[in-house]
Amino acid sequence: MTYQEWFREDRLPHIYCTGCGNGTVINCTLMAVDEMGWKKEDTAFISGIGCSSRAPGYIVTDSLHTTHGRALAFATGVKLGNPDLHVVVFTGDGDLAAIGGNHFIHACRRNIDLTVVCMNNQIYGMTGGQGSPTTPMGALSTTTPYGSAEPAFDLCELAMAAGANYVSRWTSYHVKELTRAVLTGMQTPGLSFIEALVQCPTNYGRRNKFKQVLDQVEFMRSHTVLIQKLKRMEEQGEKFPDPVIPVGEFVRRNRPALGVKV
Amino acid sequence: MKLVIDERRCKGCNLCTLVCPYRIFRPGKTPNRKGTIIPELDRPERCTNCRLRHLYGRTLCGMCQMICPDQAIRWEEEKPNEPHKVAIEY
Repeated sequence: MTYQEWFREDRLPHIYCTGCGNGTVINCTLMAVDEMGWKKEDTAFISGIGCSSRAPGYIVTDSLHTTHGRALAFATGVKLGNPDLHVVVFTGDGDLAAIGGNHFIHACRRNIDLTVVCMNNQIYGMTGGQGSPTTPMGALSTTTPYGSAEPAFDLCELAMAAGANYVSRWTSYHVKELTRAVLTGMQTPGLSFIEALVQCPTNYGRRNKFKQVLDQVEFMRSHTVLIQKLKRMEEQGEKFPDPVIPVGEFVRRNRPALGVKV
Repeated sequence: MKLVIDERRCKGCNLCTLVCPYRIFRPGKTPNRKGTIIPELDRPERCTNCRLRHLYGRTLCGMCQMICPDQAIRWEEEKPNEPHKVAIEY
């Protein structure tokens, strides 16, 4: 069985724009689900509102497309109602960091046995390119026409501080690493949070000097550094030229988790 | 095995041209019936997965398939006795 069988062939091609990275992240997640050997009846995909949250509609398993920001709240209910289910949450940055921020930190605190895949495109893509909490400083959007003046939200740091069991960040360029990270997250009991930076050529790239799809992917390729290497460079007093995106596995630990079958 | 781009799904983002180690995909030039400029294949018989898939019994490289956001790239079984072009690499 390959991961292609998890797609709903009748719904494809999906509505994502040309070059949108969300499709890549769906590929990686389904590949990881397939490698885990889960059955289609025992898996549930849950999402909120946004571009990324349309993903479960293209997957054959049971899915919930819930209210804005409340994907994790619904997922908690699904997991606690039926602990036999494997629950994967697809969510975006506006969904998870902005309106669902409180649900997110409390899901991390409770350490529920979920896998959260956050497709962070650094903007509200579906509603026309408004600035989101993860828009980097100086980036242009329709609500920050002179460049975002606020520091961006680091979701991985937030998840680590709130107590998630597994936290990692990759981009949609690093497909193999992202697949491995999602796989590790699924194997880890407790909440595993995987942030996948994706390109948004229509609403982010177009306004931020990434005219082509490849430009933004090239940026993600050349400006990402492994977190271990970044720490090593810091110890030696070197500095990586800005802007830098730390990627890799941030934390893996064994705190007591909720919803795990003993 | 044969490398195929599904014309009904491809949206022409050219991400495959970035990742292929053999540079099999090239940006296309002419739009198809839907108006999408899909990438063209440059000697696809060089692809590792096409040549060695059956020998190893698993998908080998598969980067283009994984990164394709529209799930448009796949490998097809060839019919028996289909004529091949022979690629000579120097």
